[in-house]
Amino acid sequence: MKRRMVVALCLTTVVAAAIAAVTFGATKTHTASSITVWLQVDAQSGWPKSVATANKTFEKQNPGVKVNVQYQQWNTHLQKFDATLAGGNTPDVIEMGNSEMTKYMAAGAFADLTSDKSKFPNSSTWLEGLQDSTTYDGKLMGVPYYAGSRIVIYNTDMFTEAGITAPPTSLAQFAADGKKLAAANSSDSTFSPFYVAGKDWYSALAFVYDYGGQIAKQQGDQWVGTLNTPRAIAGLTAFKNMFLALSKASKSTDEAHPFPTVPFSQGHAASFVGPGWQFGYALDPKAGNPKLKGHMGAFPMPSHIPGRYMPGFLGGSDLAIPASSQNQDLAQQWIADFTSNASMAGIVKAGNLPNTSSLLGLVKGTPGTALAESAKETWFVPTAKNWANVESSNVLRTMLTNILTGKQTVQQAATATSGQITKILNSSD
Amino acid sequence: MPRALRRTLVNLTGLLVFVVMVFPVYWMVTTAFKPGLEITSYTPHWWPHHPTLVHFTDAIHSGYFWRDLANSLIVVGAVVLLSMVLAFLAAVALAKFRFTGRRAFIVLIIVIQMLPANALVIPLYVVLARYHQVDKLSGLVVTYMTFVLPFAIWTLRGFIIGIPKELEEAAMVDGNGRATAFVKILLPLVAPGLVATAIFAFIQAWNEFIFAYILLSDQQKQTLTIWLSGFLGTSRGTDWGAVMAGATLTAIPVIIFFLFVQSRIAFGLTAGAVRG
Amino acid sequence: MSSTGHAVGAAPSGPLRRHRRLERARLAEGSIPYALIAPAVVVIVAILGYPVYYLVRLSFEHYGLFQLIAHKGQWIGLKNFTSILTDGQFWHVVLRSVLFTAANVGLTLVLGTLIAFLLKELGRFMRMLVTAALVLAWSMPVVVATQLWLWMTDYQNGVVNYLFTKLHFGNFIQYDWFANTFVGFGVITSLIVWGAVPFVAITVYAGLTQVPAELLEAAALDGSGAFRRFRDITFPILKPIFVILASLSIIWDFQVFTQPFLLLQQRPDPGYWLMSIYAYEKSFGISQYGLGSAIALVMLALMLCVTFFYIRQMIRIGEVDR
Repeated sequence: MKRRMVVALCLTTVVAAAIAAVTFGATKTHTASSITVWLQVDAQSGWPKSVATANKTFEKQNPGVKVNVQYQQWNTHLQKFDATLAGGNTPDVIEMGNSEMTKYMAAGAFADLTSDKSKFPNSSTWLEGLQDSTTYDGKLMGVPYYAGSRIVIYNTDMFTEAGITAPPTSLAQFAADGKKLAAANSSDSTFSPFYVAGKDWYSALAFVYDYGGQIAKQQGDQWVGTLNTPRAIAGLTAFKNMFLALSKASKSTDEAHPFPTVPFSQGHAASFVGPGWQFGYALDPKAGNPKLKGHMGAFPMPSHIPGRYMPGFLGGSDLAIPASSQNQDLAQQWIADFTSNASMAGIVKAGNLPNTSSLLGLVKGTPGTALAESAKETWFVPTAKNWANVESSNVLRTMLTNILTGKQTVQQAATATSGQITKILNSSD
Repeated sequence: MPRALRRTLVNLTGLLVFVVMVFPVYWMVTTAFKPGLEITSYTPHWWPHHPTLVHFTDAIHSGYFWRDLANSLIVVGAVVLLSMVLAFLAAVALAKFRFTGRRAFIVLIIVIQMLPANALVIPLYVVLARYHQVDKLSGLVVTYMTFVLPFAIWTLRGFIIGIPKELEEAAMVDGNGRATAFVKILLPLVAPGLVATAIFAFIQAWNEFIFAYILLSDQQKQTLTIWLSGFLGTSRGTDWGAVMAGATLTAIPVIIFFLFVQSRIAFGLTAGAVRG
Repeated sequence: MSSTGHAVGAAPSGPLRRHRRLERARLAEGSIPYALIAPAVVVIVAILGYPVYYLVRLSFEHYGLFQLIAHKGQWIGLKNFTSILTDGQFWHVVLRSVLFTAANVGLTLVLGTLIAFLLKELGRFMRMLVTAALVLAWSMPVVVATQLWLWMTDYQNGVVNYLFTKLHFGNFIQYDWFANTFVGFGVITSLIVWGAVPFVAITVYAGLTQVPAELLEAAALDGSGAFRRFRDITFPILKPIFVILASLSIIWDFQVFTQPFLLLQQRPDPGYWLMSIYAYEKSFGISQYGLGSAIALVMLALMLCVTFFYIRQMIRIGEVDR
């Protein structure tokens, strides 16, 4: 028995030594011999070649300096960023969602790039929506990376069979088309002529902006929630009617659970609204139906005003340099390499919009043309420093569920939510 | 109740428990072999109609699978080994000795388990950064040990206390000294408890995510759990087939570990019977 | 406890020397417990010492993103605590968490113990099978199990929806399991209990193997029924284990975060908020670390209150044995 104990102790020591060897041998030092870049996993799976090319270009310009790209995930990357901010070893470049920027810019997390703007390619023609998200208090604190807008993707065969010859040019026409589609597919009880998720606030609030309303507006240095104005309420009511008539999606799940491409590729939806990359995703052999190739089309979501488009949410990402980075010049160079025309081409190919209007020509075909069209009319969230808290508190999504399930009338839900938004946006940090 | 009927009922119940516990696992494994369209089909396919290995090959080739597997094995192996030794020693102290500070120690290990992990992430990161243990496997090992130890000590103490005093005394009457009595008789009796605790420590450390994610940045240092979450974290949708294949791969080492140690439970059984 | 037996058997040469030897022996034995707990204490204090102090300090400060970057908090005394305790929603969350924890812990312990007894009764082959199923369930990463549950109850193609409809429990196609909080919590509970039962079952089973078979046989020969045997022989031996499992389950289930958070797709409606989700939504999720620390301490205090009875029993049990 004593022998067993001795053996156990020896084992423990050996293991400890092994760990020490492995880990201390592989010590990572933060010197100017490398820079750390945080990108989201989207780049890893969507446009890895652009990343590789940017790295190669950078390493040629700066021999001896390696680029250490680390891929992060959307739901946890801010918590990790906070940890590095507290611990003092932030990355040199970080990708942020455009609606996440304001909060961190206001807190002083990023370096001021105003005087270096000309170093970045196409900076004079950056998309306005994206540029707004990188500017705070008049200072430029980030570089637009890419954008995405939303379009309606549809099954051309289903539309033809229902007698629809051209994409609808107004909301009313879309509703009428929807009825035709429902009639043509009445045997399928789970069929949605137009699939939109109950909690898809990006699509729902587009209706609000279409009717001339907005989520909140600034009055002096205070923010006021404005969902309870007549125009906003008209928009929300229009969304409610559209949903109840045409979508069999769940009223309490969002646009990612499941992705609309799932019911669409299974033949249980004739059309859906989603970001451009979902066009290719519906054809994906693993998650969609490759047989749909050639039977799909796209058009921008029509407005309630005939002949116009509904403003689409301009999603996207920016690249920023943490203020505490020791390698600011190198970081700027890398960003310039990564947002070059060549890089952008690869990013656009994956179904995104480039960060500059000068490259919008690259966006063509199906669904490119629809995407480019929809990008002309966009809306974005209020650029308040506490906006990120509104998003994480889910008040908008909860409001939608309450409206759609009938738990509250549109008026009640909008008023309650407006009050909550006012409170959150004005709470002191 | 007639013996045969009782036997059948017992076996049927066992079967029911088996099905309920295993079904989700079965669903995970069969999904890993189904092609994409079968997975998202509205009517479930109980068995893959066109089984494919593409998800497994995709999973293994994505990210740093083998490296991350090695990292996980190193971290978890170290955590389990070190924690069991240290926890066992401490549990013995708590169960068998009276000393000042005993109560304080008990309160300490209970209170630690009540601390929400989310609240400690950043302070812990700051501390480890100071020791230069960020982005190092050793940093993760000591972090895990800190959370495994209180639980392990607490549980093992219960097992040690649970050993009937008569057995201990009987052994001493035989002429053994205290230490020998302890090792010869009690250690084998506590073996099942050690095994259960070791399995738990293994699983906790193997599946832990938030600390591994925050503390390790370098792709080459990450654990298998982070690797797995990569399939779930994209905004481009979940590749269900790859997730399930990855999850299946992730679960295999745990099962191997269990198979390796489960013989010890049987050992404890026989030791208890013999000692009588 | 003392080992005078040794000293007498040794070869002392004088009464003084023997006295010194006894002293040294007692001193050495007195320091044994400290030596035994030392390594564990060192590790715990070295890693958690500063973070815990930091946590307490932060709870008295206003520490948002701005302060995080500046590395300096703003002292506000008890304001964090008062704002939590006067928040009506907080008390709703507490009540909800207590009920939820009670349900989960109860189900886990009862089912786990029943399965442990079942394991004892089963023949070798069936026991292996059931144990294998338990370990498989236990070894599944929580995140994966949650995704599985999400998917098995999927609005469109959930296999559970399909099965329930086929078994004529009603029409569950396109049934939203999370529209109704009661049903939703049922789903969350089933996931947590499924994941927690293996540990309880295996631990209790391990404890059952410690019960000396001959004691049970002797009692059976004396004419004791099964329940009597359980009450008089088995339960006293298992008691410490039950107390531990109960207290641990309470601590874990009260703090549970991953399962409900992910099952609600990381956007839980306020009607579903449990303690740790409340903590996350109100603080960490919006980079308010001062408030978050205060909430963590309040949670700690609540848990101490609830498990106080168990802990006191645990300490007492150890002492009675002396």
